[in-house]
Amino acid sequence: MKTNGKRWLGTVLLAGLMALTAACGNGNAGNTNKGAANAGNTQTTAPTEEAQATETAATEDKGTLTVYLNDFDSIIAPLFEEATGYKLEVVAGNGAEIMSRVEAEKGNPHWDVIWLDAMPSIYGLGASGQLLEGWSPNNVANLTDFAKAFVPEKQWYVPTGAHAAGVIVYNKDKVKAEDAPKSWEDFSNAKYKNMIGMADPAIAAPAYPFVSWFFKEKTNDGGQTFFSSLMDNGLRVYPKNPNVVKALAAGEISIAALQESNAYAMKNDNEPIEIIWPAEGAPASVRVAAIQKDTKNPNAAKAFIEFLLDPKTQQALIDQGDESYFQPSVNGVNAKQDRAADAKLVAADASWASENEAAIKQWFADQSVK
Amino acid sequence: MQTFMKDRLGWFVSIILFILVLYPLAAVIIQVLLPGVFFGNWQLGDLALLLEIFKRPLWQKSLENSVVLGLGTTVLATILGGVLATIRANWSFPTAKLLDASVWLLIITPSFILAQGWVLFAAGGGIAVNLLGWHWVTSAVFQPAGLIFIMTLSKFPFAYLSVHAAMEWKVDQLSHAARLSGASAFTVWRTIQAPLLMPAVWAGAALVFMDTIGDFGLPASIAAVYRFPTLPYSIYSAIYTSPIRFDMAGVLSFYLVLLIGIAMFVQFYAMRRSRFDFLSARAQRSVPKPAGKFAVLLTTLNLLFLAVVIGIPIGANVLMSIFKTQSGGMKLANLTLEHYRELFHSSSTLLKGLSHSLMIAGVAALLGLLFGLCVAYVLTYSQFKFKRTIEVFSVVTLAVPGVVLGIGYIFVWNQKWLDSIGLLLYGTPWILVLAAIAGAIPVITRLMVGAMAKVPLSLLTAAQLQGGTLASRVRFILVPLIRGALLSAGLAAFGSSVFDLAVNSILFPPNFLTLPVTINKAFEDLDFGYASAATVVGSFIVIMIILAVELMLRRKEANT
Repeated sequence: MKTNGKRWLGTVLLAGLMALTAACGNGNAGNTNKGAANAGNTQTTAPTEEAQATETAATEDKGTLTVYLNDFDSIIAPLFEEATGYKLEVVAGNGAEIMSRVEAEKGNPHWDVIWLDAMPSIYGLGASGQLLEGWSPNNVANLTDFAKAFVPEKQWYVPTGAHAAGVIVYNKDKVKAEDAPKSWEDFSNAKYKNMIGMADPAIAAPAYPFVSWFFKEKTNDGGQTFFSSLMDNGLRVYPKNPNVVKALAAGEISIAALQESNAYAMKNDNEPIEIIWPAEGAPASVRVAAIQKDTKNPNAAKAFIEFLLDPKTQQALIDQGDESYFQPSVNGVNAKQDRAADAKLVAADASWASENEAAIKQWFADQSVK
Repeated sequence: MQTFMKDRLGWFVSIILFILVLYPLAAVIIQVLLPGVFFGNWQLGDLALLLEIFKRPLWQKSLENSVVLGLGTTVLATILGGVLATIRANWSFPTAKLLDASVWLLIITPSFILAQGWVLFAAGGGIAVNLLGWHWVTSAVFQPAGLIFIMTLSKFPFAYLSVHAAMEWKVDQLSHAARLSGASAFTVWRTIQAPLLMPAVWAGAALVFMDTIGDFGLPASIAAVYRFPTLPYSIYSAIYTSPIRFDMAGVLSFYLVLLIGIAMFVQFYAMRRSRFDFLSARAQRSVPKPAGKFAVLLTTLNLLFLAVVIGIPIGANVLMSIFKTQSGGMKLANLTLEHYRELFHSSSTLLKGLSHSLMIAGVAALLGLLFGLCVAYVLTYSQFKFKRTIEVFSVVTLAVPGVVLGIGYIFVWNQKWLDSIGLLLYGTPWILVLAAIAGAIPVITRLMVGAMAKVPLSLLTAAQLQGGTLASRVRFILVPLIRGALLSAGLAAFGSSVFDLAVNSILFPPNFLTLPVTINKAFEDLDFGYASAATVVGSFIVIMIILAVELMLRRKEANT
């Protein structure tokens, strides 16, 4: 019996090892060999897609434009097709899911355009050489002064709008107007103990821009002190903004830092809440669009970026979209009527936010389980 | 020639298992050693990451939570499943068949739907608080003991099925001998009957442990209201937190696989110590005795139990689908069919998603069944050297979180050179089929092996002596004898693939929505009414299909 058991264990180990080595070998050797063999073949026979793409990239598209996005998935394709005649396929998911796909596909990307409200993460894609550089759409001229500040030096992406990643929201039935917090600093006040909630920067796309602004303004140590004081004050961290909405509605919390579309939606649903735009500004989540470096559909991709910077498009997103509360990035567009006139947005520098993303998120995740 | 044939089947099965399960899993773990290898980048990873689990608070907590949840659930669910199976096998009472049906329903229903049901029931503002005014429920459920309780009620079916199957045959001669020698009924149970059952109990416990510790649906649903990070959930956040850390996911998966390895080792060790080749020609099929005066009591308890394990998670989904607002409660004015109307609205993506999911599950069930038949054949009848290895890898997907397998699938099936041979499956529905097969393999093979164990090799050998080929032996002798199990396995695989969420959410191709992704998106947007209605309609259609196929094929079986 005993020897049998050992033999069995040995088999598993051996098989495992063999598999590992085989897998490693396959991964690369296979890659380069086949690639080289193909390159050779293409000279005499039909050209492969890859070879064609480099030769004729400037003139012809090779397939259907694929856009990875986290909002507006149901309305954007028909709008774009109507405006330009190009077909469009979307892959929709939350910000984290989309970024994870992009990363896993790094060796062979399946997307042409990425359009997310996660500017630091997209900046990171640019910095690691995955985005088309140095191309500027004509419609960039339409950008507002506020939006122009977000265009990176190498023109990796364009901003298509910005929304408050967090405004102060309180339940009118639980907190009197004069007792409500007016600024972010008030959140650490002991009278709000166990009353406040927010979304998790590790999971919700807009929550990292929210958190990173504090870290940038107060420096790393100051940011840690600030959020530690909130956590000591019983801050509750929910995975996403809709969960914060739910907790507010159920009375689990009575004050929150809430993404603005969610906040206005609650108000429109007649939930007893009030929205405060703090005077120092609401940290903004900037939605940006970028083209993949080796896209096989450069014409459609560029047309899509131009389309997003068209005032008509942004107006349509505000009028018909599900995330319709945002500050447009081009002139000549009217934001939602009921969006506060004094809405002040502030944002951390994208390159700084990108560089510090891992450290800040890890610190936050570790703090919130303590 | 014969060994060659059998070995050929053995090698075939090994290669397919390698491609479907082992390689994608290894691909994720390789990320720890060589983070850039799948992007053509040779660079050694930081092995210190392996030790971070003892330093990072989040990881430590996740490991701790996973172990607590896994052990607690294993103990409670094994006891519960064992006791229920013993009662069910010994006494007959009205509604006993309902218990069997519920057990299958729980196995097929994905844990995220069960967990959503529990969250809808127990969360602040949920059904328990709003409808029944039970404010204590929220704090009772959303704490470690409460989660173990919910997990126990979802995972006990594994222990139940395992123990129940083992009680199908009994050999009374040993017990009779003991009684004749003066042993009391309890002593007989303690020293003879219970030890004979131990292998089944261990097998059930191991399945419960593996399924609990690898479960992603429950922690994911619970996380919306209560912070309880487990290993699969931290793997999820490592994969889904920008900057994406596949190496971290690899490290955490490594620990998960390690825990599962320990569980399997304990199981094999325990089973090796028990002799279970006690079936002889004097074995009798055990028939439950009428419960007599206890029938009423058993029926009542059974119904109460089912009201909790099925009524709460499934019932919460049904109620939510007909409420206008969650806080409105059970009033006539708050009832609506609007959510169902929405499902069939022209802009709704549900029907499309549902048809995609049904198609994928159907193809996966058929291919998986063929493959499962081969695996079980090798495991049952062949002398193949790597039989044990095959056995281990045929259950691994039960325990590995779907997101991990999904990422592995992208690494494996999205390499540029595959395009030149037409095998770039990532980005096509075929990758969902492959992943669904991988997910269904454990259930199919377990059921097939159980069924084949009853068909003696001598029948097949006799046919072989008459010159029957392997294919004809399987076709004319084996398949007719295990037809019932084939049907159950195929339907179970179909049912569980339709709702498989984790793999779907990372692998679905552009413009190819599937049912679980649609449902989950609605849940994420807190569109509970729509999500619940979609769950109810989806489940109803799946159950109807399963019943229809059962009816068609089972009747045919009776006629032939």
